[in-house]
Parts: sequence; C-alpha cells; structure tokens
Amino acid sequence: MAEILAVRDVRKTFGDVRAVDGVSFTVRRGTITGLLGRNGAGKTTTIRMITGIFLPDSGDIQWLGDKVGGGGYRDHIGYLPEERGLYKQMKVVEMLLFLAEIKGRRGSDIRPRIDRWLERFELTDKRDAKVEELSKGNQQKVQLIGTLLHDPDLIILDEPQSGLDPVNMVIVRQLLHDLRNEGKTILLSTHMMAEAEKMADEIVLIHSGQVVLKGTLDEVRGSFGKNTVHLEFDGDGAFLRELPNVARASILNSSAELSLTEGADPQRVLEACMPRVRVRRFELATPSLEQIFIAKVGTETLSHEVTQ
Amino acid sequence: MNKMFVVMKREYLQAVRKKVFIIMTLLFPFLMAGLMILPGLMMAKGMGKKRIAVLDGTGQLQQAFINREETEEAVDPKQEARKAIEGGGRRRLPSQFTIEYVNEAGKDIDKDSAAYMQRLTRDKEAPDKLEGVFVIPAKAMDDTKTTLSYYSRAATDFITQERLGRITNRELQRIRLAANGVQPDLVENLLQDLSVDAVQLSRTGEKKTGGELNFIVAFILGALLIIPSFIYGQETMRGIVQEKTDRVVEVLVSSVTPMELLSGKILGIAAVGLTQITVWLTMMGLAGAYGAAVATMADINLRQFVRPSVFAYFALFFLLAYLTYVCVYAIAGAICNSDKEAQQFIAPIMMLMMAPWFLMMPIIMNPDAPFAVAFSLAPVFGPITMFVRTSVTEPPLWHILVSVAVSIATIVAFAWVTAKIFRIGILSYGKRPTLPELMKWIRVA
Repeated sequence: MAEILAVRDVRKTFGDVRAVDGVSFTVRRGTITGLLGRNGAGKTTTIRMITGIFLPDSGDIQWLGDKVGGGGYRDHIGYLPEERGLYKQMKVVEMLLFLAEIKGRRGSDIRPRIDRWLERFELTDKRDAKVEELSKGNQQKVQLIGTLLHDPDLIILDEPQSGLDPVNMVIVRQLLHDLRNEGKTILLSTHMMAEAEKMADEIVLIHSGQVVLKGTLDEVRGSFGKNTVHLEFDGDGAFLRELPNVARASILNSSAELSLTEGADPQRVLEACMPRVRVRRFELATPSLEQIFIAKVGTETLSHEVTQ
Repeated sequence: MNKMFVVMKREYLQAVRKKVFIIMTLLFPFLMAGLMILPGLMMAKGMGKKRIAVLDGTGQLQQAFINREETEEAVDPKQEARKAIEGGGRRRLPSQFTIEYVNEAGKDIDKDSAAYMQRLTRDKEAPDKLEGVFVIPAKAMDDTKTTLSYYSRAATDFITQERLGRITNRELQRIRLAANGVQPDLVENLLQDLSVDAVQLSRTGEKKTGGELNFIVAFILGALLIIPSFIYGQETMRGIVQEKTDRVVEVLVSSVTPMELLSGKILGIAAVGLTQITVWLTMMGLAGAYGAAVATMADINLRQFVRPSVFAYFALFFLLAYLTYVCVYAIAGAICNSDKEAQQFIAPIMMLMMAPWFLMMPIIMNPDAPFAVAFSLAPVFGPITMFVRTSVTEPPLWHILVSVAVSIATIVAFAWVTAKIFRIGILSYGKRPTLPELMKWIRVA
C-alpha cells in the first residue's frame, strides 16, 4: 500500500519546551493510523504541523512523495481538532457550506452532500437551526460532518472520542471503519489505548515529543511475544503483584493481566495461583496496547523500531 | 484569494443580516441629526419662553426693552433665512423674552430687587415665576466701571446674559451720544456694526462664502469618517476574540492561511462599514436635496459649501483610516482571550488614536496651522486630519500625497505585524503575552 503522508524528523520548540523532537512516521493509503501518547506527549503539535497550522522548526512533511512546507495540500485533508468549535450564530447548513467552501469546494456541488450527511447522522430536521440551539452531541456530529463534507483523502481526527457518550462512540468507530473500507485514509490521535486497539491498523506511540514505538498493531503486539497472562479467578488477587515471575500486573476485581519477566515459565505462575485463588481462566496471550504502552513509556524512552 | 473571498462573504453576510445592523443603519442618521440640531435649537430657543425682570436704576432704558411683537414691522423671511444660515446676528430683543420692566430711578434698587429675586425660586407653574432678574445700577449712565448683574437659578445661561448686556449697552451708547449733541436719528446709523463675510479663496482664484456651514459639513463628515472606523474596528476585534472563545479558529487556520483569514475578515467588515456609510450618505443626500430646495428658495448656492471632490477624498481617507485602526484592533483581538480583556487593552490605545477627534475644532478653524499640518502628515492621525483639512481648505498637493503615502506605509507595516502576531496569537489561549513575548512572536512567526 502506498504512502500518502510521510513525516520526516520534524521538530517544534515553544520557548524552552521541545514539544516535538524528531518525529518520523508514515501513513499508508487506506489504513487507520493511531497516534498514541499521554496528554502533552506532542500529538496535537504533530497534527498541527501536518495540517499546516504550525510550520516545523526543522524536518519536513511529504504529501504523496512531494515535500510540502506547511499546508499546501490542505484541501485534501479533513481535520477535526481536539478543541471543537463552530460559529454559534450560524445555521447548521450555512456553517457546513462555509466549512466546505474554505476547503475550495463550490456551494452548488456541496449542497446535496450536506443533505445526505445530515440524513446519515439523523440531523435533517436541524438543517436550518442555529448551531447554538443544538445539543453538544449534535454539535459534535455537525463538526464531524464538516470534517468529511469536502471528501478529503486524508482524515485527521484529534481525540475523536473525547466528549462522546458510549452510543456515539460506537457510531463514530463504525463510521471510521466504513470510511476506511471506502478507501479513505485516517490518522487519529488518542490517549485511550483500548479505543486505539479497536480502531487502528497501525500505531505510532509518542512520548515526550519522540516516537517510541511504531508499526502495525499485530507487529507491535507480536514483538512483545506471548509473555502475557490473562487470568480470571475468585478470591483476593492482591498477591499476584508479588509473584517472582511477574514484572507488572494490572489487577481488577476478579481478573488480571500479568506481564511476565523475560524467560519466565507461565506454568510456575499457574502453580503459585492455584493454592491462593480459584482459577476460572488462564490464558497465554499477546499483551494489550495498554500494557505495551506502560512497558515502553515506563521503562525506556529510546526509539524502538518494530517494522522490518 | 478565493478563500479570502469566502471568509469575506461570511463576515459580510453575518453582519448585515443582524437586526442590530439594520436598526443602527436606519436610525443612526436621525440620532446624529438629533444630537447636532437639538442643542442648537435649544440654544437658539433658550428652552422656551423666559420671563425676565429688568430693574432699571437709570430709568431711561425702557425703549430698549419693549417686547418685539408689539413694535416689529413685518420682516422679509428670505432675508431672515439668509441671516440665520450665514450667521448674521440679531440686534433686536429676541421674541422669546417676556420683559417685566421696572423703573427704579431714584429708588433703592438693592432693597426692591430682593422681592424680584424671591420670585426666581417659585414653582415653574406659578404665575409670577421669573427666570431671570437683570439689574442696571443708577450710575450705569455715567460711570464706565459699572457692572450689570444678571441673576438666575443657574448662572450658566450666558447667551441670555450676553443678549441682555448687548441690548443695554447699545441703548446706553445711544443715550450718551445723544447727550453729547449727536442727533438722535443719526445715532442708529453711526452705531451700525458691519457684518463680516467669510470668503474662502481657492488657488484658482475662485471665491466662496459660507464658512459657518462649511464648518458644520466638515465636522459631520469628519465624524462620519472616524466613528465607523472605530465601531468596525471594535467589531473586528470582537469577532476575532469570539472565534477564539468559540474555538472555531483552529478549523479555520487548518483550511486557510492566517493572512487569508485576516484579510478576509478586515475586508468583509470594511464592506459592512461602506454599506452602512453609503446608506447614510444617501439619506444625507436626500435630506440635502430637500435642504437644497429650501436653500434655492433662499438664494443660497449650496455648491459653495460642499465641493464634489470632498466625497472622493472621503472615500479615500475613510479606507486609509479604517485599515489603520482595524489592524490595531485585530492585534488586540489576537492576543486577548475575552471581550473584557480586549476592551481594557484597547481603551488607552484608542484614546490616543482619537486625538484628531478631540482636536477637530482647532483643526477645522486653523487648517493650515503647523500642528494641523503635522497631524495630517503623521501616521495613524493622518487620514482623519488630512480629510478635515481638504474639506475646509485646499492643502498643497504634496501634503495630500505625503499623507496618503505615510498612511499606506503605516497600513503595510501594521498589517505585517498584525499577520505575524495573529498567526501565533489566535491559537494561544491563556495568559496575555507581554511586550517582549510579542516582539518574539513577530520575529519567529
């Protein structure tokens, strides 16, 4: 699959803060790429450089193999910023028309698309309402339509899940998969690993302005080996953290995910569990993104190439 | 350019569709007219009839205080209109005075006046209520150091006071001259003041009179030039702050460059301002046409007050003034996070920029004085001052050219700085930047 976007060693400093410190990654056509990291890791700054809002201090961004300084290809991008915002006084249809027009589309071409999208999001009756009259959830939907309306090749979503209720979260997740299946390319940022796991084909993990891990989800997980134990049990699991072969453990009420130390035998762990709790499930698995994230960010900060 | 037009179109349509805009556009001329005409009317009419007691210690001045209605022969209304417009003064007792003349010759004027002064404090509806008591001491006829006194509840009615003084003095002069052997029927002619006509001489030798109206026209057009610049500058600032608080700005700058956004905004709002001014000028034109009809009847040539070139200068200097001020407002909008903060930030700067407005009177009266010339050639103050000068006199062409060039250079410099600050400022929430930080923004952006 062809690269649609390549970020090459970009850096951005604000005062004394190195927000982005030599980030490189590529986004391939027809995939969903997840840009992961904690709040303040440099995700939004990276995205703002891709969208041309900031110019990188150094490094460059390539669109379909051509170097572009800032946002020379902006019309091909649909961008949903983390800071959502619409003109509150405008009617929904006018707002959407404006958003498409500043992406270089003609009003007459866009109007039928507006109606189709409003229908898809069940907002047809809100067409002529003012934005400020809409509920927050509906405003989010309008903004999402505004991101997609001009039929962009690359859709960039900064924390698309933030502020959504569980139902809308599922709707958005489904929508992104549909778009990907239609051949669109999506770059999304999130700090919620579980969400990224459900959506992303490829991940780029950023920490302190640097890429610490990248690759397809399978590659990333595979490189960590099957050294993770998923455990379900009845009883008090507090002791699990103290076991000699366990490096890290996240323990919930009656289940746990254990990361084993290098070369540890899972069989020993099972033996240690059996006298203390009643084991209902014991499974060797690849680690979750959450565990990988903690492992990478908690222990080392050097870039770790997984891709071949 | 195309995207700038999209931004401009949005700004324009959103603004002109607002009810506030429509109401303001239609009502403002009436408000203005009211504000300009009403005080004048009130002054002229003295807020209605005034009942004044004149206590004459000399006992010889009764003739001067006989009420006009009783003595006046019919006056020519055409002549009256001319005088009113061209500032010819009245010498007779104004008709709104009702005079209660008291001959105090040989009486104790101090004691008697106390009773009249009592009546000043009566209720407005009381039949014997007095608005003023004018005391002429007995020695007024001979002693040139005598002071006349005008008593009223407010000591600020200087117009009434001035008129009574003038009437008294004229009568005293007449009597003194007559006493020194001048024939009474010659006195009026000998004392006649000559009126002064203000004649403006153009470079081509063309003469025109009517300075007073010219003054008013310059003042109105000056106000019409400066007020919208400030109103719409303010509007631009609020728009930018609003985009920040509504968080729209990030979507915008991911689609258009800050320069396209800034120029689209500024030009869109400029178009709103021009629309409004066009409406106002049309309304003024209609009123003017009516006025012209009246003026023609009174044999007044309106062309002598307003040269058509004034309107060309108006359009030119309005744009220069607007673009200068709006950049300053745009910077304020870009670096502040709320309307309130922006207002506080802009207030002192605005006071400074309004300097030509406060100096309008002296500039109109002395359009070629060094300070007026300096202001008209200075950046920021130039457009408004130069416009006022062109409308009341004919400044040398090089003054106009230098002023326009300085203004354009100022606008380019301001726009450059504004674009730099705008680029960073619109995305920075939180604390307002300090001056050193601003300088850094200008350098790095």
